[in-house]
Amino acid sequence: MTQLPVLTLTVFTPLIGALILFFWPNASPRITRWIALIATALSLLFSLVMVFGFNRTASGMQFVEEVNWLPALGIAYRLGVDGISAPLVLLTTVLSLIGVIASWDPIQRRVRAYYIAYLLLATGMLGVFVSLDLFLFYIFWEVMLIPMALLIGIWGSGNRVYAAVKFFLYTLAGSLLMLVGIVSLYQAYYQQTGIRTLDILTLTHAHYDSSFQFWAFLAFFFAFAIKVPMWPFHTWLPDAHTEAPTAGSLLLAGVLLKMGGYGFLRFNLPLFPDATKRLAPVLLVLSVIAILYGALMALVQEDFKRLIAYSSVSHMGFATLGIFALNAQGLYGSMIVMLSHGVVTGALFLIVGIVYERAHTRELRVFGGLARNMPIYASFFGLFTFASLGLPGLSGFVGEFLAILGGFRYNRWFGAIALLVVILSAWYMLRVYQRVALIRAPGEPPDPDDPERRTAELATQPIAGGADTQHHDAPDPRTFPDVTWKEALTLIPLALATIWIGIYPGYFLHWMQQAITQLAALFGNIGV
Amino acid sequence: MPLQLTTPQWGLLVPPLVVLATIIVLLAADLFLPRTRQSILTGVAIVGLTLALLSLATIDWTAGQRTFGGMYRADPFAFFVMLIALAAGILAVLISAGYVESGFEPGGMALAEYLSLLLFSILGTMILGTAGDLLMVLLGLEMSSLAVYTLTAFARRRSTSLEAALKYFLLGAFATALLVYGMAWTYGLTGSIMLDDIAAALQRAVGNGGRVEASVLLALLLLAVGLGFKVAAVPFHMWTPDAYQGAPTPISGYMSSVPKLAGFAAMARIFVEGLAPLRQEWLTLIAILALITMVYGNVVAIAQRDIKRMLGYSSIGHTGYMLAGLAAFTRVQPGDHSVGSLLFYLLAYAFMNIGAFGAVAWLQERGYGTTLDDFAGLAGRSPLAAIAMSVFMLSLMGLPPLVGFYAKYYVIVALIEANLLWLAVAIVIMSAVSAFFYLRVVAVMWFSEPSQTWQAVRTPLLGLGLALMVLGNIALGIFSGPVLDLAQRWVQAFA
Repeated sequence: MTQLPVLTLTVFTPLIGALILFFWPNASPRITRWIALIATALSLLFSLVMVFGFNRTASGMQFVEEVNWLPALGIAYRLGVDGISAPLVLLTTVLSLIGVIASWDPIQRRVRAYYIAYLLLATGMLGVFVSLDLFLFYIFWEVMLIPMALLIGIWGSGNRVYAAVKFFLYTLAGSLLMLVGIVSLYQAYYQQTGIRTLDILTLTHAHYDSSFQFWAFLAFFFAFAIKVPMWPFHTWLPDAHTEAPTAGSLLLAGVLLKMGGYGFLRFNLPLFPDATKRLAPVLLVLSVIAILYGALMALVQEDFKRLIAYSSVSHMGFATLGIFALNAQGLYGSMIVMLSHGVVTGALFLIVGIVYERAHTRELRVFGGLARNMPIYASFFGLFTFASLGLPGLSGFVGEFLAILGGFRYNRWFGAIALLVVILSAWYMLRVYQRVALIRAPGEPPDPDDPERRTAELATQPIAGGADTQHHDAPDPRTFPDVTWKEALTLIPLALATIWIGIYPGYFLHWMQQAITQLAALFGNIGV
Repeated sequence: MPLQLTTPQWGLLVPPLVVLATIIVLLAADLFLPRTRQSILTGVAIVGLTLALLSLATIDWTAGQRTFGGMYRADPFAFFVMLIALAAGILAVLISAGYVESGFEPGGMALAEYLSLLLFSILGTMILGTAGDLLMVLLGLEMSSLAVYTLTAFARRRSTSLEAALKYFLLGAFATALLVYGMAWTYGLTGSIMLDDIAAALQRAVGNGGRVEASVLLALLLLAVGLGFKVAAVPFHMWTPDAYQGAPTPISGYMSSVPKLAGFAAMARIFVEGLAPLRQEWLTLIAILALITMVYGNVVAIAQRDIKRMLGYSSIGHTGYMLAGLAAFTRVQPGDHSVGSLLFYLLAYAFMNIGAFGAVAWLQERGYGTTLDDFAGLAGRSPLAAIAMSVFMLSLMGLPPLVGFYAKYYVIVALIEANLLWLAVAIVIMSAVSAFFYLRVVAVMWFSEPSQTWQAVRTPLLGLGLALMVLGNIALGIFSGPVLDLAQRWVQAFA
């Protein structure tokens, strides 16, 4: 084990960047961006030290750091990572860095405040994944709320204030219940053993009676279910995602939603196994509803970003399906779904952001035929579309396959229904690709030789009135320049990751093996 | 019996005496200082209070020493009450000095009068903290309250200020009458005004028959109602919103903090110490009061557009949380978190709420009003002020890592340890409700555009006060361990 406090460095480097910016009021936007870039790059660097030093064959927590903090209440500053949190830490540091680059040109207003909020958010997110003390975990969990709400509320679009406040109130309501759960857990452990502690690992080793487990499970459940979000706790998500600035959507989809899944894996399953078993059927039903509902809602969206947002509800349904299938396949699947969703959906939000920067609208009917003048853009978009609909060889397939397999093993109906939705997701993803990249742009004269013409016309035709009469002031998509090198810089790593997870998932599965085997053993299922 | 006169231990009286001396210096200096040099008085008050704060270190509080025949006690509880009163006092002077000096309110008070009244109120609260018998409780409480009644009427030419003062005074006097009546009953039943003796007598009575006489319950009820008025617990809260809105803003901040501290200190002394044997009787009462208080305060606060009024109602809500801390009292034992959590909450509250009112005063001195719209776009105009106000709002909401979160957390821990899960859940739900109106202020500051022009005014002391409170909100939270230990130690004093 290394002597360097790697995790502390990973978590707090962005915070240091934020502090520098805070105490440097005259920093020019250029310097501000560079400071943010350096802070997130250093954070990534430290997380890579963690990744390369990670011992895949050892079970338990690694890189543990512990400092006494509030000893009277058994609260300490404890950090550590295992096979479940380490990949998520890496995902967070990568996406944080990409988000800084993605904000480089779009954010021109109140730049310093933007990056302060952004870096605080990064610290909060990383802290959530590495905390080994419930109190510390809760603090990071809540700290993240404010900067995210600010990002949405100040730099968002259209209905941003509504979306920011809704996001904040929903998640706060959920996490406050978790607070009661945390204190109850602390008290239950104290009554059992006479020891006051909030150490997650210590608490996990105790056994709680079943009625306590039931209520405590629910107290934690709501916080995580809202974050994932599971149906019917998802209503904040389309608003927040749609109104957030591009980097905000990237982190919301890429990292924030993962916190819910991570919470289930870290707390609900190991702490309350009996209650989990009891409630699993209900939660699986909710997961399947989320998968189906998200896909159906995505089908009818006219807003590019809202479509991706609903597809997130659907994808994260696969993650919870895998988790509550309570077997190793499902757990592996949910972890891979989360990683893949973080990469792919994050990238899709960047894709939306790129055309939004050019068109200043996200309405699908404005776009069309982008493949002609933006071939690089269309290639990236195509890749991520295929990954999102679960084409084998790309990241989406592996996770969904394993999650569905896990669902099958629990009860084949869950697996079967989830499998059907894969068709739906192919439908809405291919349709959006067709509408944005392939068919002719509005106002473009129809090509008489094009056999696809009629279908294309049908697809662009609004329900009432002609598209041309309504969008005279809309920019012409035929004039859009292709992706800039900065935009390409944000997409390339995500594309590589998509392919990497798709072709060689073993790299990540091996990483998680110890942790997941341990978890699955709780429910009587060992190994793959 | 020959009269025996023992020399009091003057050493134990140093902190209150320092404050008294400061008041005398203030009044004397006022006679000689020319009108233009009045601001020196502010310095005198701050130095005096700081000296008093430092002098707390000269006494060994853990020994539980007593003097004046046990009327005056120097135990950890007294220490903590003095600590909060003096800290809140310094903050209050910092945020109000400019407001008073600039003659912001029509017909305002002279600085010397203002400061000496403020210090009298602090002195009263300090004395209350040391009270060993009912008489001292009454003395401290009234010294604390009377000065604040006068301060509320500070703006003599503004009718709302006079109305607020009158309402506060009349209801306060009414409350005192009930309290005195309750004390008289207690004395009549137990034959003593010393808290120790009352507890012993009640213990004998409860221990013998196990049944509590109706007359004892009457005394309990009268005490609870009287003190309920002082801390603004529902249904004895009617004066609060008007008084907070009508009073000059820095006074509202002070009013929400120190007199509340006085009320809770009296409650802790009387209920936890004197009436400890009747715990079963008063705990339920306090728990129910806590619930209705927090629900009423938070729900009504949602409808307020005036920030001062909103803070008034929200302070009722916070009274509810503090009462919940008291309701978690189970027995005198080192591990008991209830009164410790209450004291910690009071300290935290001073930093949050005086800060919030300070930020309102900051805006007022720049020509703004006190409604929600006046805060629109503050972040664009003065990011530091907006950050300060956001910190106070989020801390009041209970968001980590700010001190408000820790305060609530400790109360919740105490409640769950006392098996009052329903009250803990109520706190959580009410926190979510309160998020709605606190967040509205934050949202308006950061997400809207400013509506008025700006008056450039220099208010260095107010700025310093706000900065101190922002730091306090962060540091007291993160390093709350030692402070909480300190707050909890007093229970051991009479274990």
